[in-house]
Amino acid sequence: MGKLSPPEDLAQKMGPRDRFRRHLAEWKEQSRYLSNTAQMAMLRPYQQIIGMGAAAVPLILEELQREPGQWFWALESITEENPVAPEQAGRVRAMADAWIQWGIDRGLLS
Amino acid sequence: MIPPEPFPRLTAENHRTTSPPSPEYNCVAWAAGDTEHWWQPGVFWPVETPPHDYGIGVLEMAFRALGYEDCESDESLEPGFEKVALYGSGAYYTHAARQTADGEWSSKLGKEEDILHHRPDDVAGGLYGEVIQILKRPARGG
Repeated sequence: MGKLSPPEDLAQKMGPRDRFRRHLAEWKEQSRYLSNTAQMAMLRPYQQIIGMGAAAVPLILEELQREPGQWFWALESITEENPVAPEQAGRVRAMADAWIQWGIDRGLLS
Repeated sequence: MIPPEPFPRLTAENHRTTSPPSPEYNCVAWAAGDTEHWWQPGVFWPVETPPHDYGIGVLEMAFRALGYEDCESDESLEPGFEKVALYGSGAYYTHAARQTADGEWSSKLGKEEDILHHRPDDVAGGLYGEVIQILKRPARGG
């Protein structure tokens, strides 16, 4: 295996929370004026958060507690679950609440 | 302040902000008269759409399902009708704006604010690509 380039080296040294915060800030800036959720989800920082896998789930849920947002695509992709009831679909706060409860039930959030 | 990079055609003279930011609804919802949902194909959308299709066609399908029909890109104010402008860029639909009763256009900019602008083209040319289509339906009031 070759020597890591500086950005890769830096990414490996950063913990999951720091990596998440960095990707989160980039994604928020890049997506703030977008409305198409698929377009938002295809942005590189969002894909990097999905790429963090299970480590990102509690961090996403904490972010949903702070501010409801379009994290449902990522949560479904990582967990392969969807706790949102049909009547909650599209209601951002209700969708966030469903996922937050899902996280509490699994001990991922206090 | 709305930055110029994503909206190169917006000027201080051709638009004004009309609401605070909200993550609760997006431009498609706003154009459809809904401030309680974030409209997204496969999650909350008025018609079934092909899986993994997020292009201008699914946006047109949504507004046709709401009673809108083609009006040959005529953005003028027509008494008795309400109009929506649909925008696209590459593989994605990007935006929808609706005409107000006095002929201005109203846009919700992502999770940010609502604005009134003079013409559909005012929010095009950058992040939202270009206006692809304008549709109209008989006015329903409100």
